[in-house]
Amino acid sequence: MMKQGIVNRLLIAAAIVPAIFLLSFAAISVREVKDFSLKNVDGAMVSLKDYPNAKGFIIVFTCNHCPFAQLYYKRLNELNAKYAAKGVPLLAISSTDTINYEDDSFEKMVLKAKREQLNFPYLYDNTQQVAKDFHAQKTPHAYVIWKVDGKWVVKYSGAIDDNGAHAELANNHYVAAAIDELLAEKEVSIKDTKSIGCQISFRK
Amino acid sequence: MSLKSIFMGLALGLAASVSYGQYNTLHIPDTLSGTTFNLNMRDSFVQFRTGNQTITAGINGAFWGPTLFFNKGDSVHMNVRNYLNDTTTLHWHGFHLPAVMDGGPHQTIPPGAIWRPYWKVTNNASTYWYHPHLHMSTEKQLIEGLGGFIIVRDAAEAALALPRTYGIDDIPLALTSRSFDASNAFTSTSAYGDYMVVNGTMNPQVSLPKQYVRLRILNAEMERGYNLGFSDNRTFYVIGNDGGLLDAPVPVTRVKLLVGERIEILVNLTGDAVGSSIDLKAYNAGFPLGWPGGEPGTTGPFGSLLNNINFNILHINVAAATTGAITALPSSLVSNTYLTAGDATVTRTLNVTDGTPGRPFYFDHANFDLATINHTLQLNTVEKWTVVNNNVFGHSFHIHDIQFKIISRSSGPVNAYESGWKDSYYLGINETVSFVAKFDDYADDIHPFMYHCHMAPHEDGGLMGQFVVRDATGVNNTIKDPADFKVYPNPANDRIYFSFNDPTMQAYYVTITNAVGRTLYMLPRPHLADGIDISKFAQGNYFVQLTDEATKKVITKHFIKQ
Repeated sequence: MMKQGIVNRLLIAAAIVPAIFLLSFAAISVREVKDFSLKNVDGAMVSLKDYPNAKGFIIVFTCNHCPFAQLYYKRLNELNAKYAAKGVPLLAISSTDTINYEDDSFEKMVLKAKREQLNFPYLYDNTQQVAKDFHAQKTPHAYVIWKVDGKWVVKYSGAIDDNGAHAELANNHYVAAAIDELLAEKEVSIKDTKSIGCQISFRK
Repeated sequence: MSLKSIFMGLALGLAASVSYGQYNTLHIPDTLSGTTFNLNMRDSFVQFRTGNQTITAGINGAFWGPTLFFNKGDSVHMNVRNYLNDTTTLHWHGFHLPAVMDGGPHQTIPPGAIWRPYWKVTNNASTYWYHPHLHMSTEKQLIEGLGGFIIVRDAAEAALALPRTYGIDDIPLALTSRSFDASNAFTSTSAYGDYMVVNGTMNPQVSLPKQYVRLRILNAEMERGYNLGFSDNRTFYVIGNDGGLLDAPVPVTRVKLLVGERIEILVNLTGDAVGSSIDLKAYNAGFPLGWPGGEPGTTGPFGSLLNNINFNILHINVAAATTGAITALPSSLVSNTYLTAGDATVTRTLNVTDGTPGRPFYFDHANFDLATINHTLQLNTVEKWTVVNNNVFGHSFHIHDIQFKIISRSSGPVNAYESGWKDSYYLGINETVSFVAKFDDYADDIHPFMYHCHMAPHEDGGLMGQFVVRDATGVNNTIKDPADFKVYPNPANDRIYFSFNDPTMQAYYVTITNAVGRTLYMLPRPHLADGIDISKFAQGNYFVQLTDEATKKVITKHFIKQ
């Protein structure tokens, strides 16, 4: 009797667990994102369609004021330097509520881009709509999107790597690994991690 | 073997594999003193564990805040700047002050704003603290690391031969614990942390001199209680409670300290060999259900690796004595005149109710509501409050504005070690506790004070109420039109000044916002004679919202910064 109960529970567990995995897997693998048009720090409007030869993009939600986001500017330059040439450019987007955060104003983004010598567009998501479309949670929050049948599909979402303050101690370079796999026409092994940093507060 | 026991086995296996490694040197918070205190609340990060950093929040630092030194009798002015990604508040726990300066759930500070409360310190020399008090976010913001100590000095304390060299023989200890997920982020899935954190240090050690040392211990937990003692079961001496020194030291071998409570103890290290060590420990094993942290499990919403076990808080290494060491225990401390039950002219009873599955604890079946004043008290009245906990779990009862005297516990005599001035106490399961207090000095019909369980999940869940202290003889209720005022010069460069059409008009609150609605200044009862510095504002349009003290009506004026 007792044994039967355990077997039943094990069977139920065995049935549920893969179902959950499949659901989340499916949810991520088919998630599309829309193109956008945002103002860059140089004043020009930038959209995904401006890059007709891009295979994919690294989209990083970041900002000026967050101390954890500040740790990553150099690494973002390195990612863009390496992967833009391979058809995967990096676009950074600041979606902070600039009513609350004066440090994240467009004028200060321009100064930050200059000071950090950012080699990629730093875009101002004034309405926070793009962050909402992506479901971005933190700064930084990285996405790798890939062109599949003419659509932009999310292939990776989460942290850039697993050590903010000490790049040299990072064991997992999630974004780079995802792109390397995609460029080799493989399935991305780690599709989803927790983004770590300052909460993006959405304006009410 | 059931699935549950398999999971338990896995959890225990994980626990067993957690290695403590080396001790870390106890962090002693920096100090700020004087009468003007600048406190900047920021998001930050800390390397708590191997691997990634943990996102935290701190005040003038990355986790926890500076220790503020106040002198009794001084007027202290606080500049609290919120750089967090979230609205917050900052409450001065234990202080007797006007409700509008108290930093409770009503005094919200939006991101980017500066809040400037001030008050005259009338509290006795003791150990107090400050922490966020944003309703339903208190636990989250406490976990992030927001808070700090306040040490009040006064003449009576200064006259005693007590250790008071901060960081040497007078050590603040903020006790808490944290749990981490696989990415090293703090988690709040359980009310109890898995790892002890003292002043932001995990697995801490400290060198203390071979003499009497003073430990100022704060339970800064979310929910866990501590049954404090030393590893050799030595006697130590309680010299102070939340709101001041006791009449005389009270010898103990164990002390219970619940969330929000502080205790000052003297520990005699004169007989310890230099180079020897002892541990300050939590003797938390064997408590029945109802003691917070007595739950048996290591996982789930009330699980923790530290539950229902004895564990180390602080490893103490005995070092050489300092010059001017305190080597004797004072036989007496200060002369307190306590209130008694006979002084009370008003009695109130609160009951802890609900707390049934799926429903949080409430007082008298009422969820906390920011818009409801639960009790109206008359200024200068001595009241007796009785809190009844015929319920399934213990609590830590705290009341704002006043320090009280516990007069009875249904479980037995009031412990000698909690016989002094208190603002928080342990309300055990199936216990009724009464205290008396005088509600004097600060009346306000608008802004309430809080009373609540200080266990953050309980308080956020609604085990909180509020009261106003009313001055029936005051002029606060006079019905008249609000006076008017002008802001000049306009446009302005450096300062704006106020001109009132009625010279008796006083500002209860001034808020300055910019054209897009960002709050820059929140100024309770500001002194406006010298105007307000706007020299650092960007050019543009600004609004001054002034609440008239007499009518509590809000009048808005516009000015331009050139």
